[in-house]
Amino acid sequence: MEWLGFVNYAVFMAIFIGIYALLALGLNIQWGYTGLFNAGIAGFFAVGAYTSAILTSPFAEGRVGGFDLPVPVGWLGAMVAAGLIAWPIGKICLRLRSDYLAIATIGVAEIIRLVVKSESWLTNAARGITDIPRPFGDLAYTMSQLAYLAIVAGVLLVAYLLVERQFASPWGRMMRAIRDNEDAARAMGKDVPYRRLEAFIFGSALMGLGGALFAHFNRTITPEAIDPMVATFLVWIMLILGGSGNNRGAILGVAVVWIIWSMSEIVTDRLPHEYAVKAKYLRVFLIGLMLQVVLRFRPEGLLPEPQKRGPRPDPAASGARPPASPD
Amino acid sequence: MDAMELINFYLVPGIVVGSIYALGAVGITLVFAILRYAHLAHGDLATFGAFLALGVVTLGGVSPYVALPVAMAVTAAVAVGIDRTFYAYLRERPKIVTVMASLGVALMVRAVVQIVWGVDSQTYTRGIVRPENWFGIRIRDREIVTVLAMIALVVALQLFLKYSKWGKAMRAMSDNPDLALLSGVDNRKVVLLTWTIVGGLCAAAGVFLGLNYELKALMGWTMLLPMFAAAILGGVGRVEGAVLGGLIVGIAEEMSALFLPTEYKAATAFAILLLMLLVRPTGLLKGKVL
Amino acid sequence: MRTFRIAAAAALLGATALAAPAHADVKIGLLGGVSGPIAAMAPAMIDSANLAISQVNDAGGILDGQKLVGVVGDSACNPQNATDAATKAVNIEGVVAVVGPHCSGAVLAAANSVTIPAGIVIVTPSGTSPEITSLKDNDTVFRTVPSDDFQGRALARTLLERGTKKVAVAYLNNDYGKGLAESFRAEFEAQGGEIAGYAAHEGEKASYRSNLADLASGGADTLVILDYGDGSGLTMLRQALENGFFENFVGADGMKSDAPIKELGAENLETFLASAPVGEQSTSLDAFSKAFSDIGGDPSAIFVTTSYDAAFMLALAIEKAGGDKAKVAASLREISNGEGEPILPGEWAKAKELIAAGTAIDYKGAAGEHNFDEAGDVPGAYALFRVSGNGFEVVSEMK
Repeated sequence: MEWLGFVNYAVFMAIFIGIYALLALGLNIQWGYTGLFNAGIAGFFAVGAYTSAILTSPFAEGRVGGFDLPVPVGWLGAMVAAGLIAWPIGKICLRLRSDYLAIATIGVAEIIRLVVKSESWLTNAARGITDIPRPFGDLAYTMSQLAYLAIVAGVLLVAYLLVERQFASPWGRMMRAIRDNEDAARAMGKDVPYRRLEAFIFGSALMGLGGALFAHFNRTITPEAIDPMVATFLVWIMLILGGSGNNRGAILGVAVVWIIWSMSEIVTDRLPHEYAVKAKYLRVFLIGLMLQVVLRFRPEGLLPEPQKRGPRPDPAASGARPPASPD
Repeated sequence: MDAMELINFYLVPGIVVGSIYALGAVGITLVFAILRYAHLAHGDLATFGAFLALGVVTLGGVSPYVALPVAMAVTAAVAVGIDRTFYAYLRERPKIVTVMASLGVALMVRAVVQIVWGVDSQTYTRGIVRPENWFGIRIRDREIVTVLAMIALVVALQLFLKYSKWGKAMRAMSDNPDLALLSGVDNRKVVLLTWTIVGGLCAAAGVFLGLNYELKALMGWTMLLPMFAAAILGGVGRVEGAVLGGLIVGIAEEMSALFLPTEYKAATAFAILLLMLLVRPTGLLKGKVL
Repeated sequence: MRTFRIAAAAALLGATALAAPAHADVKIGLLGGVSGPIAAMAPAMIDSANLAISQVNDAGGILDGQKLVGVVGDSACNPQNATDAATKAVNIEGVVAVVGPHCSGAVLAAANSVTIPAGIVIVTPSGTSPEITSLKDNDTVFRTVPSDDFQGRALARTLLERGTKKVAVAYLNNDYGKGLAESFRAEFEAQGGEIAGYAAHEGEKASYRSNLADLASGGADTLVILDYGDGSGLTMLRQALENGFFENFVGADGMKSDAPIKELGAENLETFLASAPVGEQSTSLDAFSKAFSDIGGDPSAIFVTTSYDAAFMLALAIEKAGGDKAKVAASLREISNGEGEPILPGEWAKAKELIAAGTAIDYKGAAGEHNFDEAGDVPGAYALFRVSGNGFEVVSEMK
């Protein structure tokens, strides 16, 4: 019985890691490879989750849809919708420099969150959408989780291979050139705004897919899921900790952060019973501290971007300073 | 609706909450300009300062105005300590790493507040304070103090930046760090000074927020996004811009109740910001382009 | 790498948790939003559930004198943490049943992806969303808090009976506030009342004066606040009082909290009324209030009665089911179906004897009778309270 419980927990964590890995991969396309500071992950996550929910859930009174379509259609729809939302946002905001783009995307995500929370006809407002089908959801607990893990892992593998291939291709080299030296890339005749928009939409579509996988796993989506802390900042920590610019690093970062996040509760639960509630605050402290420890010893990320030709200029530095050489 | 109602119920509250946003936004803009990253622990540091003042008020039995300078001093020291412990060794790294570190610090500071002071809503003084009537304008004493204190702090900061030696050094770091370093400005002292000022401003924002409303463990975190919007709106690196941005965000939020469903109040700050970024990407007062 | 050593140490610590001895204790999960937006409410709710647990242990323990243990998990009021906490509670700690989670979104996610598949009974003390009713839950999801629908309607009828014909409604934009507001408005208007202002607000803003001015412009002198008394509801009540926007204030169970009295002063709350669920026998509530006050708790804090009832009923159900997880749901219905020897809060020894003797028992909870319907919901019985001294007293029953 006990080992079965451990398996269930491990499988659950793996599913979560898979879902968040999609978000981190999407962010890696935008930040790691193209230098776009998207701080509105929660917005695209929400669009994906709700699109798929509306497309695949059964008919419901009082809100749009409940179209009862097959799950893959919902997931495809989620990617398309997230990409479609990203298009005008990118069109308008991508000409802003990094920190401005960050605050603009945070703003868009907050507005999306408020719309999701307030518009009954569209998203059933604060109550959220339920009865979202989960593939193989009728199986028993462990089997159902394993089946879903297989799906998530499959989707992640496809996404990973696609992204990797893309970046090994001339397209990837061009993106890195744009990130590292925009002017030079422009002088070479690259259509910089168009390419950046491309990366922004592609990354956002992956985030939308992550949102859809999340909604189907829980069979429900409510506005609490798109809180900026758990849906935006957490993903950023994962990417930076894992190593931006490196897809395997991104996935490893997700795993490490999620394990810290989840296991820290088991650790603080060892405290005496009367501190059970305070232990939860201590846990938050521990999470913060663990982040500092990792950043202290691996500030370039657990798996940094491979350096092939010379040091890589720093896309995050704000331009005014010469890039520090990574050691 | 008559003009008095508009002033009393929309403009005055907007100015008060705007002044608090302004205090926070000034700190954010300083970090942005001199250290060049977004400091995400700003809100939680403000919460910490506010609860520190609560500690002084309950232990010392003094008024929150007496507790304010104490809280500012201690929070300043804490801010310097945080910088030394968690940010200093990341200075040569990409700035995004420091942004992430500040998120970790935000979680830690919040946890400390929750462990030490608990999670209940609290106030400095029990009971309610009805506003005084000044020729039809209804305003509470503490609201006048809040606005005046904000103006005093900002003017003092401006004078310091303009005329003192170290203020000039800070501005030099903000304008051109390489040139400043070459001309002999001590980077470490500037950073120390920046954090002292920013810590003090954080505490002031927190105390005035608690004084006018309530103290809650999450109050700083929920103020973070509007404060950032205010800082960017005003133009990064511009102190008077941050004040203007704070006031605009505060007043716009309150005024929005007139023409928007109130559940969208929180979106007002961002709507204005997005509009402004389209028209004038450098902020209202020409700020830095980072 | 020190990082990895720390990670390894953490993993090891986690693993030792797995090796905890089996069968020694009977565990129930106490999942709550300890961190996150309802952090101010969660500790009191968990304390009251723990009170039930310690009463069980003080009066001879559960089953064969085993110890009942509450495993606290942080659901943080979001699905991500809720599913994580529920998975750990069910699989690592091996809980028999769960009290919580607190927020509806967390309940929906945790139930759908963890507890329903695992066949673990959960009883939420505060998830009020109607979506919980329609969960396909194999009869494993219950709640001790009535769906908002009952309370909103009862409140509307009571106000009309008291002669209040015109009100403004301010509600928190979440499932709790929205559900109450919608049912209140439907009933109030159907019975001939007038709603002169109806607006949602986001929690955690500093100023609500413009919202209040907008609501007051409709000309009502009574404001119905459907929010939490230790969150934005308190801010709103304060600003309405300070600026004289309304004369009378009415809240639901979320507003019947100690925080307004403590922070605003009872002398300012003479025109403040709040509804809250009560049992038919007020002795139940008294028994709980006394016990909770004795351990330093605040019996009028939000959702503490429902949390206590959830934990105590689960203990009764586990005892009745003989510790068998699969039978907990059926037993939960049996121990509180309106028939049998009445059991009041805290009467564990008596209940244990009766169960052992095979006599039917009927738990009379602090927050109501808790006779579950088909969907695992409870109909509410409510009373209207007013502030008196430093607490609340009943004004009238609500029909």
